Amino acid sequence: MLESRDLTKVYGGKAAVNHVSLKLETGHIYAMLGPNGSGKTTWMKMAAGLVKPTSGEMLFEGSPVGVDSRRQVAYMSTEPYFYTWMTAKDVGRYYEDFFEDFRPERYLELLDHMELTPDMKTRTLSSGMAAKLKIAATLARDAKVWMLDEPFNGIDLLARDQIRGSILEGASDSRLLILSSHLVEEMEAIADRAVYIRHGELVECCDLEEMRQERGLSMADRYREIYGQKEAIA
Amino acid sequence: MIKLMKYELRKTLSVKLILLAVTAVAELVYLIGLWRDSESMIATGIGLLLLLAFSGVMIVGIGTLLVLHRDINTKQSCMLFMTPHSSYAILGAKLLENAVSILLAGVFFFALGALDVTLLFAHQKALDQMWKMISEMLRSFNEELVINQMNIAALVWAMLTSWITTVTTACLADVVSAALLGGKKLSGFISLLLFIALSLVEGQLLNLIFKGMTLDFATASWLRGGAELLIAIGTYVLTAFLMERRLSV
Repeated sequence: MLESRDLTKVYGGKAAVNHVSLKLETGHIYAMLGPNGSGKTTWMKMAAGLVKPTSGEMLFEGSPVGVDSRRQVAYMSTEPYFYTWMTAKDVGRYYEDFFEDFRPERYLELLDHMELTPDMKTRTLSSGMAAKLKIAATLARDAKVWMLDEPFNGIDLLARDQIRGSILEGASDSRLLILSSHLVEEMEAIADRAVYIRHGELVECCDLEEMRQERGLSMADRYREIYGQKEAIA
Repeated sequence: MIKLMKYELRKTLSVKLILLAVTAVAELVYLIGLWRDSESMIATGIGLLLLLAFSGVMIVGIGTLLVLHRDINTKQSCMLFMTPHSSYAILGAKLLENAVSILLAGVFFFALGALDVTLLFAHQKALDQMWKMISEMLRSFNEELVINQMNIAALVWAMLTSWITTVTTACLADVVSAALLGGKKLSGFISLLLFIALSLVEGQLLNLIFKGMTLDFATASWLRGGAELLIAIGTYVLTAFLMERRLSV
């Protein structure tokens, strides 16, 4: 469904993503793993069509990502991005205006579930509340792909449980979920596949159950193997 | 496209509302001056309204440039560029909303000016002095200008289209800078240099086109305005092409 072919993005002479070839299939939840600066966000932004590759291709259902793929890929950036004049209700209207797959009732349910109200102003939200609002808006889209960059950043334990529940509710055989995080334990409870990225290069894309059975390794064990003690702490 | 324009209008609404409120105050000063026969208040009102008419159109354009700069250089860029629209539609909505706003602001100030001059005609006192002041101000753009409705309309058209071209040129400079330098430290300065260079090239191009033509003021202004609009369209296409192919947000 989503495929990168020899994908590279260079910033100021340094490759943020370096010749990554990767094919992600529908019906799975992928955990995109790696320490900060490993290239996860850049790869996701190229998949969302926000960042243009230096070379290589990013394909959605066989065609280069662009206007059509943005109709079907619900992307949530790790940074806060709502306009400061907006309320949570305005955010819902904005998504409704631009995305045909947006379900306003589901959005209101999610807001309620996340203990947010439509009249809340985005500029006055704490970082945790702003993160929950981004997640509510993204998950209210009935999109073929949900792509969430660091969805648990700045969110307390109880709210993480709420978010995890909402993500798992939306998982289905017809949807591809990609979640990036450096909170490996959190991801282990959600994902069934893992993509390990290091210094912009793909290390491995694997099925977690197979890895447990064949190699006796958990997601976190493999993470420690790849990144080592020093990098894992970073 | 309409929905994109709706949000572009919303982003620049506060600037426009402030401008409208200040204009209302200036108009009130002018009207009270007429009512109370106070020459100093009439002069102050006219001075403020003329200043607002010229700066207001510029402020509307600059507001759009600031929004574009924010939309391609800050975290908020995701909000706009994740929508299922091409760069042609995104930039087109920005420029169209801006062009409509500039034209509407121009028409609004032109109509307000016509109304105020009519009121001044009705109020005979100080008329000659005021008309002389307005005429001198308009002649500062062209010494040979004969003040009549046709020439004033042509002058307003030429000024508005010239400003629309300036805005699209500044958009091109900002996008080139953002696409090639990716928000590095000197990108703002380089964007300014690029804007100056592009404006000079456009000015030379227009001078070449109209060199040797002997046209009256109104015809020259209408034609030059048309040429300015063509340049604005060309600049838009080039900017959107660069955004589509090279701009990362």
